[in-house]
This record gives sequence, C-alpha cells and structure tokens, in this order.
Amino acid sequence: MANIAPARQAPATRRALDWGVVRGRLGQVLLYAFLVAGCVATLLPFMWMVMGSFKSSSEIIRIPPTFFPESPTLENYRTVLNDPHVPLGRFYINSTIVAVSVVVLELFTASLAGFIFAKYEFFGKNAMFAFVLATMMIPFQVLMIPSYLILAKLKLIDSLWGLIVPVAVDAFGIFMMKQFIEGLPSELMDAGRIDGASEWGIYWRIIVPQLGAPMATLGILTFMYRWNNYLWPLVVITSPDRRTLPIMLTWYSGMQYQSYDLTMAASVLVVVPVLIVYATFQRWIVQGFALSGLK
Amino acid sequence: MSVRASRSRRRRGGVEAGQRRFILGVTIPTVLYAAGLNVLSIVWAFALMFFEYSPGRGGGPILGLGGNNPFVGLAHFRNMIEGVTLEARLFHTSLKNTLIFAFAVLPLNLILTLPLAALIESVRGQLRSAFRAIYFLPAVTASVGVALMWGHMYHPQEGLLNAAIRTLGGSPVFWLSDPRLSFLGVSVAMWSVVIAYLWQDYGYNMVIFVAALQGIPKEFGEAAMIDGAGAWQAFRHVTIPLLRPTLLFVCVMTMLSSFQVFDIIQVMTNGGPRDQTRVLVLDIYLNAFRYQRMGWAAAASFVLLLVVMLVTVVQMRLLRTEWEY
Repeated sequence: MANIAPARQAPATRRALDWGVVRGRLGQVLLYAFLVAGCVATLLPFMWMVMGSFKSSSEIIRIPPTFFPESPTLENYRTVLNDPHVPLGRFYINSTIVAVSVVVLELFTASLAGFIFAKYEFFGKNAMFAFVLATMMIPFQVLMIPSYLILAKLKLIDSLWGLIVPVAVDAFGIFMMKQFIEGLPSELMDAGRIDGASEWGIYWRIIVPQLGAPMATLGILTFMYRWNNYLWPLVVITSPDRRTLPIMLTWYSGMQYQSYDLTMAASVLVVVPVLIVYATFQRWIVQGFALSGLK
Repeated sequence: MSVRASRSRRRRGGVEAGQRRFILGVTIPTVLYAAGLNVLSIVWAFALMFFEYSPGRGGGPILGLGGNNPFVGLAHFRNMIEGVTLEARLFHTSLKNTLIFAFAVLPLNLILTLPLAALIESVRGQLRSAFRAIYFLPAVTASVGVALMWGHMYHPQEGLLNAAIRTLGGSPVFWLSDPRLSFLGVSVAMWSVVIAYLWQDYGYNMVIFVAALQGIPKEFGEAAMIDGAGAWQAFRHVTIPLLRPTLLFVCVMTMLSSFQVFDIIQVMTNGGPRDQTRVLVLDIYLNAFRYQRMGWAAAASFVLLLVVMLVTVVQMRLLRTEWEY
C-alpha cells in the first residue's frame, strides 16, 4: 500500500465534486431502500402470523386470502386460552420453571467453575479445561440417545427435572465466565484475603458482584434458548400436562384438521413473551451474541 | 499468577489450605457431574453402535447391553455402506439431504449476511442499532414458531406466497408437499425449508459480522481508497481478507448448526414429501425414539459426528490465517 498516488485525487474540480455528492446521495437512498426492504422481509412472516391470529376460522381459509383481517376477532385467543385439552397456563408455568431453573443453576456453576479456572493454579487444570472445551464441540444430537438412557436410569423421563439436570453445567458458560474473570484484577482477591475472607467469601462477595454484565448476557441467552428448546422436551416429556410451550404449539398444527387460526393465535402467545424479553434487553442480547461469538 | 501473589500466599499457610479445600470442593463435584454425564454419554453412545439395542428389551447387566440386545459388531456400518435395507436407504437419503441443506444454507447465508452487515455498519447512530435489532428478531423466535409461521406462509390455499402468485396470475404451488417440483436439481420442499431456516438464522451471522467490521480500523479501507480503489474493491481486497478469522468462525458455526437442523423440518414437513427433506437428525430421532432402534440410531449419530468433524477440519484448513492486526 506504499505507492500512494495523490496526484490523481488532488485537482478536484467543482463538477467532479458535485457528481460525488449526487452519487453519495443516490448511494444513501439505495442503502436505506435496501435496508428497509430487508426489514419488511424480516417482519412479514411475523405480520402474517399476527394477522392470521385475528382472523375468523372462515376468513382464514378464504381464497384469495386477505392480508388484514376484515373483522378482527379475539375468538381464537379465547379458544386457545380456554381449551380444556391444552392448559396453556400450565405450559407457561412448566416453561418458566425449566428456563429459570436452568438459568440459575447454570449461572452459578459457570461463574464458580469459571472463577476456579481463571484464578487458581492446580494439578490437571489445563487438562480439565480442555475436557470442558471438548464437550462444547460435540453436538448435542450425538449424545441425545445416551443422555436419554441416563435419564431413564435416574427415573427422570417425563419429568421437568429431566429438562434441567443434564444442562445444569454448561461448557460454554464456564468458558465465557473464565474469559471474563481472567480480566478482573487479582489484587481484589488479595485484598479480600487480607481482610480474612474465605475463598468462598471471595467468590460470593468479591467476584460475583463484578459479573453483572456477563451474567446478564449468559442468563438471557440461556433463558431464551431453554424457552425455545424443542427437541429435548420432545424426547423427554410424554405426559400432556408436563409439556413446555414449544411442544404445545405442535398440538394445534398436528391435529387432524389443521386449524391455522388457532395455531397462529397460540404461536403469538408463545413467541411474544420472548420478543418482549428481547425488546427489553435488546442491547445485552445482540452484544452478547456478537461478543460470545467472537471471544 | 504473579510473583507477588504467590509469595504472599506462601507467607500464610492457612490460606493455601483453604484454597486447596475450595478448589477441591468446587472442581470435584463439577468434574464428577460433567464427567458423569458427558463421559458416560460418550462411552455409552460409542458402545451402543455395536449392538442391536432397544430400551424396551431386557438386556445384559452392563448398561443393558448383551442378552436380548445382542452384540452385532460393525453390522450397522456394513448395512449403511451396502445400503440395501430400508433403514439404510433412508439413512443414505437423510445424509444426502443434510449435505444438500448445509451446502445450500452456507453460501446463501454469507451472500445475505456479509453485504447486509456492511450496509448496516455504514449507517450511523441510533438507526444502526434499530436495523440490527429488527434483523435479529427471527433469531430469538422459537424455531417451532418459525416453522408454523412459514408453514402458514407456504400454505397452498391460505398462504401469503400463493396469494401473491395468484395475484400475478400464476397457479398455486404446493411448496411443502409436491414431490415432483424441483429447482436446480433440488426439491422445492427442500428450498422452502432452506429459506425458512435462512430467515430464522441470518441474524446471528449478521450481528457477528457487524461486530467484526466495527473492529477493523477505518484507516485500512481509506488507505486503499486513496490508492485509487473503489468502495467495492476496498471491501473485496482489504475488508474481506481482514475478516478471515470471523469468516472462518461463521462458516464453521453455520455448517455445524445446519448439520443439526431438526426443529423446523420436523414441524414443517416431517421429512416429506417422499423423504425429500428427511435430514440426519430427524432420521436419528425417528429411529431412536419412534422405532426404538437405538443401536442403529447411535451408529447414525456417529456418522453425523464424523461428518461434522470432517467439515470443521476442512474449513479450518481452507480459511486458516497466521497473522493478526
């Protein structure tokens, strides 16, 4: 890049400058047009779902279909919320129990193990950390069958515990916490020791209060992942009243007469809570994905 | 660990004992837990593929293997290679479909996300985060929800796509259920799930690319422009090479996740029409948990693992860099 040629740029005439402005403007217009078109393409399926959920069962099967509901009705939501076969409240509770328990357990184990790996030296540390990383690399689907058989041995099949226990320790969480805690100054720990704090006290009173940002990120990511998880609950849960929300969703679409009005209303009820969480913590989530992806 | 820290530790012997207790107290349970689940899972998965195993049958004393769940050696793999039996033919179809899916998703994803990230990066201020937030919406949506939304979009009668086609005077297309339709040698049903998957997944890579682009010093691109390069040339010859580590990461992760696709396919097509969208994880799931053929399913999982590892290694070779900036 050494052969700079300033002569070509320097004699900028008035005309050339104007052209540059025009081209810049045009570029800006095209840029925004493209980005807005992308937004429309992104939002269209959501819109189609929301519109469908407000259509009556006769309107939704009309040909050609309407985009906006002609006479918006809440009937689908009423049906879905009062369906005796599908106790939606129960499924919200199940999904919440699973997602919150996993978040709490995982944040605890990840921060504790991450702290040990980051700030202590002991025999076999590198080998153990390599093992943690290795488990991160194996796709869950490969270990799905033995995981199921282990749960069966522990009598945890068809139990919400079966959705919590196998993921209470997460390799990615440990990795992420270790990376962050390594950046915290060790002087903090020494100061704690001089004040007579136990190692546990150092973890709980000195390290954990510093972990707000990574814990928020990991917590939200874990929550959304568990809330949306489908395959594992599909394998583990058999009783209707222990289902989580994503499993419930396929109930409507799996019926003999697939009724899209009810399916769309149920989908809205499942998708929207996560979108609210997302809208609230948007910055953390997007940043979290970007950072955790790169780190 | 710094010299000062280790010296101060030596001065107070009690602290060291406390540290050792703490380390043991935390690592032993964690390691036992992780090992108990992971090592046992890996060993069990490895053992299973040499047996004809069904959990309902009473087996031998160790992990239920042996007895009514006989040892069959490499019979599953021989069966897979010969490809004569029904399950072997379905496995071949699933493997082929998984490869088609992954190799369709990766380039389309990159063509979509990289320019989009560059465009978003060139927007200033609040608007940039607004665009990024909207583009990321599908990524946080439950994949079952995505599958149902797109199932509704693709619906032959009620769907938005066919409504648009009718308005333009065309005849409705059975996107997910007509086995005769194909485009570029790949079935239309497969393209349809690929598009739904791209829609759900592109937010991740876009966000990662935006973050990476923000990390590249502006001076590099400006220097190239001063040298007479156009914006496209600067992007092509300066930015893309600098993005190589990110590109490697994104390619590996996108491949890995598309080899593991299950949710949207199971909900949208359940492998149909005529197994044209049957992918490996669906095949494994059906064999293991519907037909209770867990030995066979474990062998198929092992093949999935091999494919995933192979693809990762190849990509690392192709995109490796030795320098940093």
